Amino acid sequence: RPPSPLVRCRLTQVRWSRYNPSFIEPEVNKELYQKPWEELSEEEKKKLELKAVQPIKAAPPSLSSSVFSDPMVSKFTNMMMKGGNKVLARSLMSQTLEAIKRKQLEKYHKAPEDEKETIECNPYVIFHQALKNCQPIIGLSSITKGGKTYQVPVPLKDNRKRFLAMKWLITECRENKNRRMLMPEKLSLELLQAFNNEGPIIKKKHMLHKMAEANRAYAHFRWW
Amino acid sequence: FTLNAWKSADSIEQGTKSFKALHKAAKKARQSLAQKLVKVTQERHQTFLSVTVCVLPSQAKHSEHHEGRHYSIPLEEVKAVFPHGLPSRFQQQIKTFNEACLMVRKPALELFTYLKSSNFAHPAVRYVIYGEKGTGKTMTLCHVVHYCARQGWLVLHIPDAHLWVKNCKELMKSSYKEERLDQPLQASVWLKNFKASNERFLKEIKTQKTYVWGKQESTEEGRPLGEVVEQGLARTRNASDAVGVVLKELKQQCQRGSFRLLVAVDGVNALWGRTTLKREDKSPVSPGELTLVYNLRKLMMNNWNGGAIVTTLSQTGSLFKPRSAYLPQELLGKVSHGLPPPSFTMGNRNPGWGTASGHGGRVCFSLSSHNIL
Repeated sequence: RPPSPLVRCRLTQVRWSRYNPSFIEPEVNKELYQKPWEELSEEEKKKLELKAVQPIKAAPPSLSSSVFSDPMVSKFTNMMMKGGNKVLARSLMSQTLEAIKRKQLEKYHKAPEDEKETIECNPYVIFHQALKNCQPIIGLSSITKGGKTYQVPVPLKDNRKRFLAMKWLITECRENKNRRMLMPEKLSLELLQAFNNEGPIIKKKHMLHKMAEANRAYAHFRWW
Repeated sequence: FTLNAWKSADSIEQGTKSFKALHKAAKKARQSLAQKLVKVTQERHQTFLSVTVCVLPSQAKHSEHHEGRHYSIPLEEVKAVFPHGLPSRFQQQIKTFNEACLMVRKPALELFTYLKSSNFAHPAVRYVIYGEKGTGKTMTLCHVVHYCARQGWLVLHIPDAHLWVKNCKELMKSSYKEERLDQPLQASVWLKNFKASNERFLKEIKTQKTYVWGKQESTEEGRPLGEVVEQGLARTRNASDAVGVVLKELKQQCQRGSFRLLVAVDGVNALWGRTTLKREDKSPVSPGELTLVYNLRKLMMNNWNGGAIVTTLSQTGSLFKPRSAYLPQELLGKVSHGLPPPSFTMGNRNPGWGTASGHGGRVCFSLSSHNIL
């Protein structure tokens, strides 16, 4: 939706945060702390000196500095979660990644020698690439002018693109599946199709692009 | 997953029973990821799995220093030796990795020494493999089955005795004895798999009696045993009786010494437990009233020689037993009163128990958490 022209909003994480503005976000990157003092750039040195004095916010439970944690995967798991059942959502996610790995390994073992290198077996790489392929570049926004609402093509922010890709993936898997097929199986199928730039979600993205192209004439209605 | 991680997961599970339902799904997902899979998904760049397979010499030469390593079975042998024996999760692993790798475990090695040095003129020794969930009892049994099949024994493998005492859709009255009940579906499935794994024995072994199946069908004396199996497969009404005939013939002819018989039963506590089956008048059925179980129990006695009986206790498919039960006394009940203490124990369980004689008695092997993966 277009931002209302009267409100000047500051970009904060949470609207009703009770923290004093002087509190800093926690730093999760382990490599930064393992670097010796000489190798740090000027800004990093200043930041570290500030940290000694300024208070730091508490880290949320989903934030982790482990090598296995992936912010995209966490976000996707949160979007899949229903009723606060994070345990179930997380297990579904791990089963999906396992299913992707198994399918790719079977393909790998059956492929001839020269094609073996082209087969991607890492489920995280497949997940990231599939989501990237599903992200639309341009979206539509409804703008009311002279009593009529027009669908105006509008560039999308990164967060909105990521959100749309994940939302389409999840709704597709929830609605268009066989009654007996389980979520991990269906999700792995859709992710592999998206990785190869085919499937219903890529089609949906192309439809959105075509609509935006068709409504090109209204592009000048946008004022931001 | 290190050993400590498994142990702590187990103790947490036992302590906080209220979280069992919540974490069941999570634990299942974690357990299904084999160690090999976990290794690869943890590495971000593209490396393919490296299984700890070593080119081991033939099975007969597996010894103590091979303990803990994997050996691979060629896939054609897997189809021939295990038409129904391997657990479903292991079959999934075979499908994914295109290879069947079994780990060499200590109880299996111990069993091999016993089998090699056993005197076949003495009554068959009954071996019981028991242990907690997920410690490798079924895989040890499969290892022993493969070893004996390679040595040329006749393997009578019942993959899961629990399947015979529950979820039976067709229970019929036995035509042979009035009180007993037949299970045509289970019997025909077992006969089909038995035929697939022991083709050559079925041609060589001849029947010693005439068996009359109906008004016009009968198997004469001296016909190959394969005909009895065919009869059971063709007429599902007689399938359970065909199984009984096969078991009886094998038990009688094994004593002559022309072949060695290995009876491998997984989940033997099903034969002496309770069933969930009911007759038409809703009265409960005890396992002894089922033809298949009755005939199998006869084979479990040690009044025949020329082979060995290797069994596994399993709580996983068992009926009316709590999840924490794994000891023979808990799972077998009264039947286990005659059991001697375990021949050797692993880890920190019971330090002061001595060895039992393997002669005519029953020998127990316990598998503890040291033996996982």
